[in-house]
Amino acid sequence: MPLNLSQPKRKNAISLTPLIDVVFILLLFFMLTSSFVPWRIVDTPLSMTPDTQKPVEEKDNLILTLKQNDDQVWVEGQAVSFSDQSRLQTLVADHNGGIFVIKAEEGVTLQTLMHLADRLKLNGAKTVSIANAFAMPETK
Amino acid sequence: MKIGEKYAARNAANDDNMVPLINVVFLMLVFFMVAGQIQKADPIAVMPPHSINDNRAVTDPSIEIVLGTDGSLYVDDKLFVIDDVQVYLEQQFASAPDKEAFWVQIKADGGISLEKLRPVFNQVRLAGLTKVSLATQLERGKE
Repeated sequence: MPLNLSQPKRKNAISLTPLIDVVFILLLFFMLTSSFVPWRIVDTPLSMTPDTQKPVEEKDNLILTLKQNDDQVWVEGQAVSFSDQSRLQTLVADHNGGIFVIKAEEGVTLQTLMHLADRLKLNGAKTVSIANAFAMPETK
Repeated sequence: MKIGEKYAARNAANDDNMVPLINVVFLMLVFFMVAGQIQKADPIAVMPPHSINDNRAVTDPSIEIVLGTDGSLYVDDKLFVIDDVQVYLEQQFASAPDKEAFWVQIKADGGISLEKLRPVFNQVRLAGLTKVSLATQLERGKE
């Protein structure tokens, strides 16, 4: 009587379905928890007392005042548009020994402030101070 | 028996059809694992101002203040009234092991006006802390 050994199945692979389940769960987890926002920080060192903010009035420093969110900044009584490259470059070149102090009036948004700081930096300004824009009105 | 054979063949090869799917899913998984950063979600959604500034934080902030467009204020994920912030900051600073490395990060929405930020900065100053940073996000296309 011939021994009837059944041939072992060549392809007896484990089912892939549980694997996919796990991989999908992992994928969902990583998709939901990942963050692609490129976070950066701007240092805004605060002075201990309002009195030490007086150097702002020094001669070399230039005070720029934001009045509205209209992409214009007031310097020495004149409005300068953010897009006016040549005017900004002259301003920066004239005062580059000092600090560019940005002040802001009511209603000016944080984005406008950062936009002006960027513009000044792009035109070669070395030191831009935005901390004064956050000072309480009575300490100005 | 042609139909039966066909059916049997298809049935056996069922899992094989899934291989390309698994390949794609694995690729996506690897992409999200490598390219994404896992970080704690903010208590409220804020869109910090865009800037060309490229400074990265070296250490994690000791205190994180989140200020939303509606003026709600969260300090370390807890809702705060503005006047309580100073006391909390002083307590945290007093119990901090490394006073030199203690810094405060302010995450504020780019759309909020500066006078909403002023009281927050004032509280930090009143607490005697000087190391403060504002969160920005890198402007795309200008890297």
